[in-house]
Formats: sequence, C-alpha cells, structure tokens
Amino acid sequence: MTKEKGDVLQGTLDLVVLKALKLEPMHGWGITERLEQWSESVLQLGQGTLYPALYRLERQDFIRSEWRVTDNNRRARYYSLTARGRRHLQESLAQWRRMSRAINLVLDVTTVN
Amino acid sequence: MDAFADVWRRLRSLAGRRDLDDRLDDEIRFHVEQQTEKYRRAGIPPDEARRQALIRFGGVEQKRQETRDQFRAPRIENLARDVRYGLRSLWRHPAFSAMAVLSLAIGIGANAVIFGVVHALLYRPFPLAQPETLVNVYETEGGRGFNLMSHPNIEDLRRSTTQVFSGIAASTFFPAPVGSDGTAQIVMGELVNGGAFAVLGVEPLLGRAILPEDDVARGGHPVVMLNHAYWQRAFAADPQAVGRTLQIGGRGYTIIGVAPAGYRGGFPLLSPAFYVPMAMADELMGAAMLTERDAHSFFVKARLAPGVTRLQAEHTASLVADGLTRARPEGWVPGERFSLVPTADVQIYPGIDPLLRAAALLLVAVVGLVLLLACTNLASVLLARALDRGREVAVRRAIGATRVMIARQLLVESALLGLGGAAAGFVLAVVLLKVLVSIDLPLPYTLKLDSHFGIDSTVLFDWRVLALTAVAGALTGSALGLVPAVQGTRGDVGSALKTGSRGGDAPGSLRWRNALVIAQVAMSLVLLVGAGLFLRSWHKMLAVDPGFGRNPASVLTLMIPVARSTPDETVQRTHAVLERLRIVPGVEAAGLVWPLPLEFASSFTDFTIDGRVPPPDRAAFRADRVTVDDAFFDAAGIAIIAGRTFTEADRRDTQPVAVISQAMARRYWPDGDALGRVLRRPDPAERDLMVVGVASDVNVRSLGETPRDVVYESYTQGAAFPMFNFVVRVATDPSRISPVLVAAAREVDPDVKPVQSTTMAQHLAMSRLPSQMGAFMLSAFAAMAMVLATIGVYGLVRYTVAMRTREVGIRMALGADAAGVARLLATGGLRLALIGGAIGVVVSLVAASYLTKLLFGVGAFDPFALTGAPLVLGLVAWLAAYLPARRASRANPLAALRSE
Repeated sequence: MTKEKGDVLQGTLDLVVLKALKLEPMHGWGITERLEQWSESVLQLGQGTLYPALYRLERQDFIRSEWRVTDNNRRARYYSLTARGRRHLQESLAQWRRMSRAINLVLDVTTVN
Repeated sequence: MDAFADVWRRLRSLAGRRDLDDRLDDEIRFHVEQQTEKYRRAGIPPDEARRQALIRFGGVEQKRQETRDQFRAPRIENLARDVRYGLRSLWRHPAFSAMAVLSLAIGIGANAVIFGVVHALLYRPFPLAQPETLVNVYETEGGRGFNLMSHPNIEDLRRSTTQVFSGIAASTFFPAPVGSDGTAQIVMGELVNGGAFAVLGVEPLLGRAILPEDDVARGGHPVVMLNHAYWQRAFAADPQAVGRTLQIGGRGYTIIGVAPAGYRGGFPLLSPAFYVPMAMADELMGAAMLTERDAHSFFVKARLAPGVTRLQAEHTASLVADGLTRARPEGWVPGERFSLVPTADVQIYPGIDPLLRAAALLLVAVVGLVLLLACTNLASVLLARALDRGREVAVRRAIGATRVMIARQLLVESALLGLGGAAAGFVLAVVLLKVLVSIDLPLPYTLKLDSHFGIDSTVLFDWRVLALTAVAGALTGSALGLVPAVQGTRGDVGSALKTGSRGGDAPGSLRWRNALVIAQVAMSLVLLVGAGLFLRSWHKMLAVDPGFGRNPASVLTLMIPVARSTPDETVQRTHAVLERLRIVPGVEAAGLVWPLPLEFASSFTDFTIDGRVPPPDRAAFRADRVTVDDAFFDAAGIAIIAGRTFTEADRRDTQPVAVISQAMARRYWPDGDALGRVLRRPDPAERDLMVVGVASDVNVRSLGETPRDVVYESYTQGAAFPMFNFVVRVATDPSRISPVLVAAAREVDPDVKPVQSTTMAQHLAMSRLPSQMGAFMLSAFAAMAMVLATIGVYGLVRYTVAMRTREVGIRMALGADAAGVARLLATGGLRLALIGGAIGVVVSLVAASYLTKLLFGVGAFDPFALTGAPLVLGLVAWLAAYLPARRASRANPLAALRSE
C-alpha cells in the first residue's frame, strides 16, 4: 500500500529533479528551493526525501555530481544531468504528456456526457 | 544487463562506502545550514531557525538511512551489519563469550582428537585391491585364540589350497640394523614372501615389488623395497634411490622399488622401514625362522580364488590341518586348525580387536558426552543472555525491528560463537595431536606414533575430521541459538519494557535452563564415576607385584648373529657377553631371558607327567616356557623356593633340567614333592626335563593374572637363540648405564647388535600403560566435564542472583542476615545439582557394568568411585552456587535497591 504511493511519488520526484537540473547544475538545497518555487506539495514529506532520489538517480547514471564552491565560498555537492539523464528526461516527459493527454481525453469525454 | 550493472555499481560502492557516507553527511549538513540561514534571514532566532530547518528536512537519521539504502547491497550489508553488531555485543561480554567459545573448543577439540586417533588406528583403510576377497589366516586351537602362522605350515597350506586361494601373502617383522657396523641403527624391517604385493594388489610407486623370483634361494637375494615413509625420511624422497644399495645387517641390499604412500605393511600397528624377501630371513634373524614349525611369527593374508567363498576355503584348509594332525610332523600341535577371518573385519588383530573396539567406543562416547556438555553449557548461557536482553530486544522492536530481524541477529551471534568455538577447537586439536604424536610413550622400543606406526598429525587430522569439526561448531552454535531466538522475541513489547532492566522472565525458559543444569551435573557425574573407576583400576595395577623386577635393572635386547654357529658356539658367545657384563662397575647381577615376562611375545611347551591324565581334548599338558640362564633369577629378583637354579654343570650333554613356577608345582604336586619329577615331552625335538627347582611366581602374560604354570629351561640346553633380553641389576641409574653395557658387550663380540635398551621400570610401566592411559584420559575428560558443569551451575546461580538483586535488597533492608540470604540464593542451584547428581548415580551404575571388561581389580559397583565422585562434584557444585550467592548477600542493601 505505502509502497505503491511511494512509487508514484518517487516517479514524480525523479522527473521534477531531472527537470530542475536541466536548467543548470545545482546542489541539493538549491534543488529544493527550485522545487518549492514550482510546487509546495512535492516535498511535503520533508526536504530530506530529495537525497535518496539524488543518490538513486546518480546510481542509475542519469545525473553526476562533483564538489564545487558556492557563491559565498561554501563547499557543496553540485549535481548535473548526464546525456543518459537528458534522454531519460525527454522520454519520461513524452510519456508523461501522452499519459496526461490520454487522461485528459478520458476526463473530457466523461465531462461531456 | 542493467540488473548486472546495478549490482556491479552497488558492489563497487560497497568498497567506497565510507566515502559515500562522509559525502552524504557533508551534504546534509550543508543543506540544513542553508535552510537555517534562510529562516534566520526571515527573522527567526538562530536556535529556532535550526530547529525549523531540521523539521523541514524531516528525520535526518531516517533520510540518511534511506539514502544509504540506495548505494548499498542490502543483503550482504545486513549480514555484515549483523556480524559487526554481534561481534561488538560479544566483545562487550568477554566473560560470557570466552566461556562459550572455550566450552565449545574443549568439546570440539576433544572430539577431533579422539575421532582422529580412533580413525587412524582402527578404521584407516588399507589400499588393498578388492579387500572383500582377502582373508587373514591364523592358527587356532580348538577354535580358541588366533596364533600367527609358522612358515612350514604356510607352505603346507599353500601347496594344498591352490584350488581355493589364488595367492598367499605372508610377512613377519624383525629389528634390522641399518648402516655400516659402527653407526648401525635399528629400524623395523618386514620380511615378505615373493609375490606378496601382487596378491594384495599393491602397485609399487617406483621400481618394482618383491617378486617370486626374489624369494628362491636362501640368502641369495639381497634386494629391498622401501616403505614410502622411510623413503621420504631416509632418502628425502629421491627417485634415484632405486638401484642404490642399503646396508642391512652388514650386507648390501639393492633397492628395487618404493611402496605406495598408503601401504603400511602386513600388520596395521607396525610401519616397517622396508620390505625384504622371505628367503633372507635366516640371515637377518640369525636363526632358522623358516624351518621351525612352532615359530609362530607370520602374518598371513590369502586371496580367495574367483567364485570361492570363505567357508569353502576354510573347509579345504581344515583338511590340510587334519592331514598334519595325522602326519604329526615335529612342532605341529595335534588338533590345531586354520582360521580364516575376512580381512575387512580385522582392525588390528582378532584377539584384541574386541577390546580395542570397546575402548574406542568408550572414548568416542566419552568425548561425545563432553561435547554434549559443552553444548548444554552454551545453550544455557545463550538462554540466560536472551533473558538478560529482554529489554534490549523490546527497545529494538519498539523502534521498528521485526521479529525476524531480531531472531536473525541472535542467530548470527550464536553462529559466531559456534564458528569461534570450532576455530578454537581446531587449534586445540592441532596442538593436542602435535603433542600426541611426539609424546614419548614408555615403551620398550622408543616407539613413536609417527615413525613406527605410520601415524603422523596429517593422518590423524584428515579432511573428514576437519569437516566434522567445522560443521559441528557451526551447527551447534546455530541450533543452540534457535531456542533463545524464538523465545527471546516472543511476548509483548510493552510488558518487557515495563518489567525493567532484567526483561521478562519467561518461566518456560527458566525451566529449560534448570533442565540443562540437571543434565550437565548428571553427565559430569557419570564421567567422574568412570574416571574414578579407571583411577582405581590403575591404582590397583600399580599395587600389583609382578613377582620380578623390583630392583633397578637395565634391560638390553641384544642380537648375537649365530646362524653359522653350532649350538655350543652360540652358548659360548652368549656366555662370554654375560661374563663381560658382570664385571662392568655398578653391575650387581646379570642374567638373560627369552621371552621377558610381560613381554608381548610368549612361548609354551607341551609335556606329560607319569600317572596323570591330560585334559580330555588334549594329548598333553601345556605350560609357558621361559629360557633363562642361572643368574636370571637373581638379576630379576625371583626367589628359588625349593631345589636349585641352573649351574655350569647343566650342559647340552647332561640331563636336561627345569625350574618350575610355584603355581605349577602346587598344581601337579600338591604334596610338595615336585623336585626330581620328570616332564615328558611328546615333541621329538624336545628332550624330557627333570625338575630341579621351584621359583616364586611371576606375572608372565598380563599384570595381576592368576599365577600360571611356567617351565624355565636353561639356554645351555635348549635351542640356539639369536636374541636375548639381558637383565642387568645395577646399583646406579639403570638408564645411564645402558650405553656402557652395550659397549662392553661389543667389546667381547663385535657382531653383537643392540636391538633395544630399556629399564625394568619402563618395561613394567609398559604393561600398565593401557590402564594408565585409560585412567589418564578419562580423568582428563571428567575434569573437563566437571569444569563445564561447574560453569553451568555457577552461571545459573549468578543469573538468579542478578535477577533477584532487588528482592535481596528488600530482605536485607528488612533485617535478614547475610548468611540466610546467601543460603536462600544458593538453594536453587544446589537443588538442581542434587537432582542431577541422583540421576547421574543411576546412569553411572548402568554404564559402569559395561566398563568391567576394561577394568582391573575393580568391580562396577566400586564404593570408592561411587561415593568419591558425587562428593567431589557436590563440593564443587556447592562452591559454584554459594560463592556468587554470598557475594550478593554481602552487597549494600541500598545499592541493591537502587541498582534497578
């Protein structure tokens, strides 16, 4: 039960993380800031939820990371998209769109009737 | 493919795990700081800002764990974590862990050693081809006993059984002087008939075996085949050794081959250095070995012809025996038969196999009991610890560990103990075996297990024993962990947390522990009683007066090669050696004897007496025969009770005379008129003897035996002997004078070869060796058992005391006196010891009745053992129970109350 919910959530989270990193390399906190700009709800469970996702994505070779120095001279781990990640994001987005269009279609039809 | 890559990445990250952990920590710290900073900028005070940031992050520890799960290989990780946790937990309780590992080590080590020895001595297979068609052949009288065969009998049997036997292999052993005369060493040699190796199906490793054509002309074939171990020892396993020459008995023997590694000769207990053809026997033994029908010296194996059963062969062999009885050749005892025993059924020798098997069974049972005891100890301790950890388990469950996780953790811990015990037991076994093979047994030969029996630590420690050790350890550990694992995780978390530090005291598990302690006490009592019986047996044996050798004496076995001497020359040469020994400073008396009483060898003579009828199934009476000189009685401390000893006047050309044992004189001439009587001998080779003296009784065959009939003959009148034991009574240290004596003997006769040199004390110790070993080993095991049981009782009482600390505090606070409290606390343990003791006594009574065969002079219901053992155990149990109880009662009541 919880596992299913987690899976949906996880899929979504992966997608938005990749989306965020498509713009520019960012550290973990930066990603959460960006996500909060987009939506309050994604990280409802706590900002820490981001990290398992980051490590998983890195393990899957969708993102890579390196130490960099921030603007105010702090050391931070910066994540960036790999080519594979970029491809995966495109595929996922395409699929997402197909899916949402299908859902929308269904919803529209039911609304009409 | 992706799955594989994923596993690979996980495994790789396993290696760099520490780096990843650090990195994650840094990232989380950075994240929380950034968030805190953000809140601070929004005007929240620093402390509150940080708190908010942490909340926003949401369970740092949990997130860290979840993240870690992303880069870890979970199953291996979990096991590794359990092992780490287990090790840490065991390390925190060093006394508990050491005790558990030590208990198991003792149990497993003892088992590995005993199994190794029993297997090596009794059950090590010989590399013989098709052993099911091989039989051992012995001579037997009326179905009683198993005598070795004589060479003429083997030849007669061979000639008439070609239909039933496809081949016969015969062998005998001899002390062989190897090397040039000055530096000659005595090793064990084996004489084999030509073709023996082919009959047995033993293929030489190098060169060739001894063939029928090597065994034709007497003394004509000086060839030798090396035993594998000797080839390695003396020739450094040099393949070029074949073709070289080995000096044996002063003659060069051509090395023709090397036996394969597993083959150890014709008698399992002796591992010869080499094999030479039977035809060389007379020359090497210095006597007519091959022609005398009563020289029972040969081990014989026969190969059944295809399709022939053992019974058919035995029938054919009995026809041969009947023919010999009709023909009555010199040296054949009428009525004698041949007995065929399947080779596979013989461990060492049919005569002693039952005893050896009984002893082996006893040892295995005893060490099994020790292992069982060690296991109960471990189980008991694990159970106690599981109870002790009730709270730890409850806390872990409360924070979300599942029952399976906790059970797994407990199992891993006990398996660790099992493995640790197995490893320690392995080390212990190796050490014990090293000691065992190098131990100097008090034997007449300097016999060592490795060089003489072909038993070294590699043989004792074969892979089966290794596997057994490892499996036993791991299995016992895990199996014993199961009960506490199941019990410890049962029950409800809340109540366990509430009952406080000592956890839920499930009455069921306490009952288990009590049962274990009872079993331990019972088992160790059984072993103690056994040890008591064997100690008593040994003690009785020490007290036995064998009737000779009370004074310090040196015993030299000298070989005087006399093959080419006449009997009179032989006597002269032997006499010269004796006379020379007598003038060595420190020598009080010197005599010779063959065989030495209580030696493995024995000899007998048949005789009739005028006016007395022999037993119905026999044609004559029979007595042990000992060949001596006149001074032997004095040198060995045997009294001449009546008549005289031998004198210079008793020569080959005078009336043959005999001295007989007191027991024999009493049996045949109860009126005391033995002197002057005649022993008529049916064997035409033996002349009639006139009794001229009566000597005090000695033990001839076994210590403490009923005095036997013994006929002493003078060496000046009997057959020529190549080898004698010289008994030299000395005023000094007998072991130190031996080299002087040997040198003196070689001075008068350079051909003299020392075969062995020992002391009378060592010789007598040898005859006590079995009972001494029995007493020693059982005592050692019983001591181990007692230690284990003591630990068990002690642990139980300690545990009970710890559980009742609060109660003790209250009692003391209310004014109970320390002694009373101590008594109260100790009672529980003592009651268990009492029950266990009672059960142990009953079991001992049953078990002891099986032991009587191995005991000497002690009945199964020996009062000493049956009261002594419980007393010792009772005292130890009392100490084990009382000491911890007293310590608890001495505690400060306030501290006791507060301790919870």
